[in-house]
Amino acid sequence: MKRRDFLRNSSLASASLFTAPFILPSGRVFARSGSRLVNHVVFVLFAGGIRNQESVDQGYLSTQGAGSSGNILPNMLSGAGPGGALVHDPWVPALGSPISQQGTLFRNLRYAFGPTGHYNGHTVAMTGNYTDTGLNLNLNPDFPTVFEYYRKHSEPAPNARSCWWLSTELGPYPSLNFSRHPEYGPLYGANYLMPGYGLGEAAVQYLGGLQTLHPEEVSRVQGIKAQLDGFFNQGPAQASGVRNTDEDTRSIQQLYLDLLSGNDALELPLPDGIPSYLLSGDGANIATGWKILERFQPELVVINTTNSDVCHDNFSEYLIALHKADYAVGWLWKKIQEHPVLANDTLLICMPEHGRNLEPNGLVDANGLRAFDHTSDENSRDVFALIAGPPSVVAQGRVVGTPSSPVGESIDIVPTIAHALGFLEAIPPGMLPGRVLNEAWA
Amino acid sequence: MRSNIFNGMEKGWVVAVRGAALSLIWIVALLFSACERTLEKDVIVDNLIYGIDTIPVYSSSAEKDKLKTTTQFISTAYSQLYLRPIPSGTLNELSLLRSAHGDKNMIGELVISHFLADEVVLASFPDEEDMQADPEAFVEQTYLRFFLRLPTAYERYALSRQIAGDSETSVLEVYRAFLLSNEYLYY
Repeated sequence: MKRRDFLRNSSLASASLFTAPFILPSGRVFARSGSRLVNHVVFVLFAGGIRNQESVDQGYLSTQGAGSSGNILPNMLSGAGPGGALVHDPWVPALGSPISQQGTLFRNLRYAFGPTGHYNGHTVAMTGNYTDTGLNLNLNPDFPTVFEYYRKHSEPAPNARSCWWLSTELGPYPSLNFSRHPEYGPLYGANYLMPGYGLGEAAVQYLGGLQTLHPEEVSRVQGIKAQLDGFFNQGPAQASGVRNTDEDTRSIQQLYLDLLSGNDALELPLPDGIPSYLLSGDGANIATGWKILERFQPELVVINTTNSDVCHDNFSEYLIALHKADYAVGWLWKKIQEHPVLANDTLLICMPEHGRNLEPNGLVDANGLRAFDHTSDENSRDVFALIAGPPSVVAQGRVVGTPSSPVGESIDIVPTIAHALGFLEAIPPGMLPGRVLNEAWA
Repeated sequence: MRSNIFNGMEKGWVVAVRGAALSLIWIVALLFSACERTLEKDVIVDNLIYGIDTIPVYSSSAEKDKLKTTTQFISTAYSQLYLRPIPSGTLNELSLLRSAHGDKNMIGELVISHFLADEVVLASFPDEEDMQADPEAFVEQTYLRFFLRLPTAYERYALSRQIAGDSETSVLEVYRAFLLSNEYLYY
């Protein structure tokens, strides 16, 4: 029976390769759904384990008894920066007004169940289901990801190039572009890219000099391949990951080769005068995400930042990483608002995958600041979420939730995205325990 | 005609892997004496991956039901094109590169293109004229080289006909198609 299912899915996958996208006069690949709030969602998993004390509470060094309080996330949040005794070099914000003024801030949102581990947190945020898996297993999640819901339940069915997952690290993170769920899986998965390796030094070395094949050569190779595949009783391998259409494969390869050969360049999320060696891994990930948004205008993109996890042993570097990641998010939002297709039609969601402990772990950095782990205490379950978008869609400058009365949970992001992109109603009942964060809408 | 075309390739293949074969014999001997049966299978798989011999390993494609891992895919392609095992550093870098992309076929195409752009690899290819002169012999040797089995009569006929029917078809294109085929993802 399993084999039969596999063959059926494989046939569907093969058939999908020959499904030509419908190009609308506007240049959009897919028609807008009447029930959609926007046509693009960018979900920044502002991850690495972020305490509300340093984000929305704007405590800076005051919680350590070592200096002033102040806002270290000036692109995302309103509030004056710290007054003195700085451990970071403040960057001029990319935005004139913070993103929170262009959206709704869920000031206290709960990561209610399960271990506060990075992979767990990512899995919860991207599947809308809590998981008690305690290890960073290199396995695809049990529950469908937001990408699979999007591709399976949107009309007309989007192809893989319409959704992307970009991570700063490898480890288990490549497994989050599709699930092991028998009704979903790679057939509905997203494209995945880890820019550090995927477009890194080795990629330049091995792939930098390549050119895409001539269409006639592609045609002859595909003809022979089709014949070989016709004689083989296995379809495209599930383990070979998500499959793009032939046309999309060529366009994505072209993007990679353009970047690797230097024919196209990444714009870097750095303020004027800041040298490129100060670009963080988070910044590089967001820069690549922007290149993909700019080139393909996908409808659903999830990007993470993780550099703040240095907080395990260096609180000062944690603050610096937070400040840089905030700049990159602000820069991304600015780019989106300057793009003719994405501007005023994009929802931006930012949320840490989990928080960090209330009590320090005993390690002290060079500035005498104490470090924090994330071991599932109540403080590590307290996070925030920021949802920004067009004024006609998202309430502007609204703040909901307090420490004593939190609003929303981590599992609510997936249904909120599904609602915004108009496919929530098509998801079978019982798949998503969370709710739409309706407090965000105008 | 067949032996004239491909003898050189076969000899080079055998010489290139002789050292690896001797090492593997020692490993197999150790495993037979000390390990469980499942480990014996692993070693047999490695023999297949590095293409130690040109004799058919599989009697039919139906015997291939296990997916190659990223490491196996890259190391197999490398050894079958370069006719020697892949250096560990190269394997590690290319494995990470493949892991960093979600569409394994798409990035696999680029990695294969990198291999196929190397003059060292191209030098091991049979001549285009020889392929066109005796497509059936070429098809048989290509099946052996990449699929580690002989083609069925119909497979031999169909591909030979396709090659003979399009003079623009090159050895490079046939090899690329084999390396990108579904069967090549399995062992």
